Amino acid sequence: MLYHIFHSTQFSYQQWVSFSHNLIRLKPRDTPFQTVIDFSLSTDPAITEMSGYSDYFGNHLHHVLIREPHHHLKVTVRTCIAMDLQAIEQHRMLAQYAKDVTYGQALQALKASAPDVIDAKQFCMPSKFITKMDPTLRDYVASSFSHQRSLYESVQEFMGRIYHDFQFVSGFSDVDTPVEAVFEARKGVCQDFAHVAISALRSLGLAVRYVSGYIETLPPLGEEKLFGADASHAWFAIFIPGYGWFDFDPTNNIIPYDQHIVLGYGRDYADVAPIQGVVFGSGRSNVSVTVDVTREEMPAQNQSQSQSQS
Amino acid sequence: MIFENYTASSYDEMFNEDGTIREHWKALAQNLETLGLQQLNVKQKEIDWRLEDNGVTYNVYDDPNGISRPWRLDPIPLILEGSDWDRIEAGMQQRAKLLNLLFKDIYGEQKVLKQNIVPSEVIFGHSGFLREVHGLYAHLEHPLMIVAADLARGPDGKMWVIHDRVQSPSGLGYAIENRLTMNSAVQTLYSNISIRRLYAFYEDFKSMLMKQGAHNKSEPLNVLLTPGAHNETYFEHAYLSSFLGLTLVQGQDLLAKGGAVWLKSLKGLRRVDAILRRLDESYCDPLELRSDSKLGVSGLVHAVRKQGITMANPLGCGILENLGIHPFMPKLAHFFLNEELILPQIASWWCGQEKECEYVLENLSTLIVKSIDRSDNQSGTFRGKDLSAEEQAQLRTKILENPHLFVGQEEVQFATAPSLVEGTIKPRHVVIRSFAITKDEEYEVMPGALVRVGSSDDSLIVSGQRGGSSKDLWVLGESGPVVPNNAYKPKATFENSLENIPSLRAENLFWLGRYLMRCIMSARMIRITLKSLANATRYDRQGNLHAQEILCDTLSHLSMTYPGFLAEGEDKVIDPVAEIWSVIGQNDRVGSLHQALNMLSNANTSTKNLLPLESWRIFDRMMREWSEYANDTLPQQRTMISGLDSLLVSLMAYKALIEDSLFAQQGLILYEIGAGLERAQLLIAKSRSMLTSVYEPFTEYEVLETLLGSSESLNAYRAHYRASIELEHVSEFMLLDSQFPKSLISEISHLLKLLPKLPKFKHDIYLSRYEEPLFEAFSILRLSRIESLCALAPNSVVRENMDALLASVSNKLIVASDELSKTYFAHYDE
Repeated sequence: MLYHIFHSTQFSYQQWVSFSHNLIRLKPRDTPFQTVIDFSLSTDPAITEMSGYSDYFGNHLHHVLIREPHHHLKVTVRTCIAMDLQAIEQHRMLAQYAKDVTYGQALQALKASAPDVIDAKQFCMPSKFITKMDPTLRDYVASSFSHQRSLYESVQEFMGRIYHDFQFVSGFSDVDTPVEAVFEARKGVCQDFAHVAISALRSLGLAVRYVSGYIETLPPLGEEKLFGADASHAWFAIFIPGYGWFDFDPTNNIIPYDQHIVLGYGRDYADVAPIQGVVFGSGRSNVSVTVDVTREEMPAQNQSQSQSQS
Repeated sequence: MIFENYTASSYDEMFNEDGTIREHWKALAQNLETLGLQQLNVKQKEIDWRLEDNGVTYNVYDDPNGISRPWRLDPIPLILEGSDWDRIEAGMQQRAKLLNLLFKDIYGEQKVLKQNIVPSEVIFGHSGFLREVHGLYAHLEHPLMIVAADLARGPDGKMWVIHDRVQSPSGLGYAIENRLTMNSAVQTLYSNISIRRLYAFYEDFKSMLMKQGAHNKSEPLNVLLTPGAHNETYFEHAYLSSFLGLTLVQGQDLLAKGGAVWLKSLKGLRRVDAILRRLDESYCDPLELRSDSKLGVSGLVHAVRKQGITMANPLGCGILENLGIHPFMPKLAHFFLNEELILPQIASWWCGQEKECEYVLENLSTLIVKSIDRSDNQSGTFRGKDLSAEEQAQLRTKILENPHLFVGQEEVQFATAPSLVEGTIKPRHVVIRSFAITKDEEYEVMPGALVRVGSSDDSLIVSGQRGGSSKDLWVLGESGPVVPNNAYKPKATFENSLENIPSLRAENLFWLGRYLMRCIMSARMIRITLKSLANATRYDRQGNLHAQEILCDTLSHLSMTYPGFLAEGEDKVIDPVAEIWSVIGQNDRVGSLHQALNMLSNANTSTKNLLPLESWRIFDRMMREWSEYANDTLPQQRTMISGLDSLLVSLMAYKALIEDSLFAQQGLILYEIGAGLERAQLLIAKSRSMLTSVYEPFTEYEVLETLLGSSESLNAYRAHYRASIELEHVSEFMLLDSQFPKSLISEISHLLKLLPKLPKFKHDIYLSRYEEPLFEAFSILRLSRIESLCALAPNSVVRENMDALLASVSNKLIVASDELSKTYFAHYDE
């Protein structure tokens, strides 16, 4: 199965911008479950210099310099990505085994120094947006956890509680709204819920990372899907020693399966902000974003074969 | 016997425990005795005077007495035996080697983490670990080019490492300045003492940077990147850059593109080979590092990624200043070098380990607890002895919340050395900042150091920021013959030519000219208006009142403090003197004289190091007097006028000093262009307000006389016209007369003469973009005739031709200024 993703971002500046450096993180990383087949990045005004590379976490990144004076900057990305449904299903099966690991066992294992654990440990640490431990948030999360209980099931329950206790309200928060404020108001958007979950689970000593990406949305029954009705999305993943990373989507209370497409991951939003720019000589800027995710079922080859066999 | 009352409570550098003088101090002791205490104090005064005269300062943040504090140097040096030093040297070399290997590993394979030599939290939990530069240094053998460490002698008589400084260690400039000052001020103390010289080390430092010049082989362009004049060690940045032949730049002077870093100079962009970095790494690039940094260069990390720039020291090395690494240094020495550490360290326990954390918590009252991260700006050091029970409990909670962020250290009594304190010699704790640099695949250690002296008896805190003193370090022994290093001698004239002036400096000089003229001309206009208001009661004629209104309106136009006197209805000015006082002294009012002075003050700060010391003094005194003056709520007119008088005297003296002492090659031309543009614009503003409307004869006379007076042109006019003051004559004189240097046309033709001296000027068939508007302005003025400018349409009360001409010239000046900025200061189109 393929996804075609269209992602366009437009910035408007109050003054002329004549020289701007940008970091763009809009090319999805390859994972065992997804492979980028086609990718294009363009801007208006046009790119003067561009180079792509991978960051410390292995996410794709483009450094882009634009030198044509402009008031508006439009960044357009088209991606085609193949989902490996078999691998996704295998990972779902693996989760069934991972459920055996209790919270207590996980904590013990995180003290060891196996290579995968050492790498995971950086996701236990405070990070730019998740700096301090909020004791009330810790109390809130702790009621779902005990040393003897399955870590996976506890996290799943906790995800459900965020889903039920928090209200999805856009406009309440922005990038800089602290986790405590979101937790206190019990409202925010996907990015806030991911941050709340990460902060809470880290306060329990767990390794948790932030995942940015897209989610396929379906139109209400019987309606045509409108182009551009999608949005970028964010969720979190937890490290279960011996089994690896498992994703949870608290905004929708689901365990990501084949409708979630990963852009990249990091300690929090700061590591994977989609577009970061430094512009010279501009005042504030406005941003508008259009995202579209369209599914394309696998080419007919397999199907026609199976048909001919039947 | 000048050491009679000297008693040290801990290990002393000079005295044995039994009170006898250590062998290697005997010659100095003799020299000090010969000199005598009284003469030693005289020497101290001479040193103070020399340092102040050289402008050696240490800027102290949050100091109510201004930000500059004079650098202090003790006339008594610290002496170390050659054999003692050899061991320190070997220890520093080992430490530098070790830190370099650790640096390469952290930003490379991370074997020390994978093999659990260092717990990963020590690295991951420290803000100095910059993921952005991971993998960028694999091609370099010695990315860590400069290693400094603070050393102090422990109770066992051995030199211990207190901490490492690699980010952008300060002290090299102060150390050389200390040595040069000692050489000239206390020659007598050197009698019968032979010490190692510093010359070769500084020459090697220069070569180390010059060798990075792979891109401009014959003339590498190396810069010293400073956070700016407000930084605590800015003196050192300016001093070192000139000592080492580096161009002193701020982030705004540089630009990153094409995988390289470029210096914006008046000639255009020039490729930079190496940066000696004195800016903290997190501030170096707002794109990839701290996004709130205004001091960095956007895209700098990417230029490093593309291997287009060398930095000493490299970005990311802040992780090595991490105290959490200390407990693991012996293990690391085994791992990387298979050696024991030569220089011992203070016993320390990293709280990220359970047992160690328990130990620290149990011994909180005797240990010193430090945060492993210096960058979080919180007070990072807690001395157990000084904490109350409650404070201890708070600290305990803090540690338990984030154990990996803390280390506990044993409290150690470090050695003292004799120091001249308030006229007598007393023991003071000393800390040695030692430096090592890369040379031929090895590390070379400076045979000297910056020694910092504690400010009080028991103070272990030895910090320039807290007002301690410093010493020169004398290492006994001989130095080889000095071989001047000609290979990389920078040409003396090179950085002095106009074309190599960094654009930011050029821009600041340009604005220095503009704001200085703005201040002078506004102050004059305000003064003359106040005087005219003060005369009101004497004549009390309608015409006089009208003239005053026009002057007041002119003041609003000139300063652009709209609506001001132009307000109608409810906002109409009732008390003109109060309104004028607001135009003078209201700090937050756009266009006020106070604001212009603040802008001038900024321009002065940024160009200070080009200007003579007298100008600093005049400026400082002027600003002090001004802040007293402007603080008044509403002084009497007389006081207002006399305050403006003294301001103008200072401004004129300051102006004369600038014009007298700055070379054209240092950028005086930019100051002149700025000043010329500003004078022309302000003259236009005055003329439009005072010459273009038709008034009653008496009013007109008053206004014309004021226009001439406020431009200090009255005498020149009288000498020229020998006639009464008439509108046509005055207009002709002030606008069109090329013989009169203050006329508008003269100002513009002067600007046209200056432009060809700028570096990018092309003697082309066509005019450049910034020259064109000035040439047009000159032409339309030159082609004007005064009869036509003064002509009035039937029933009109405004001389429309003149107003249109002035408006058009004004617009052309604005375009010229913008184009000039684009070409010489911004360079975005190159």
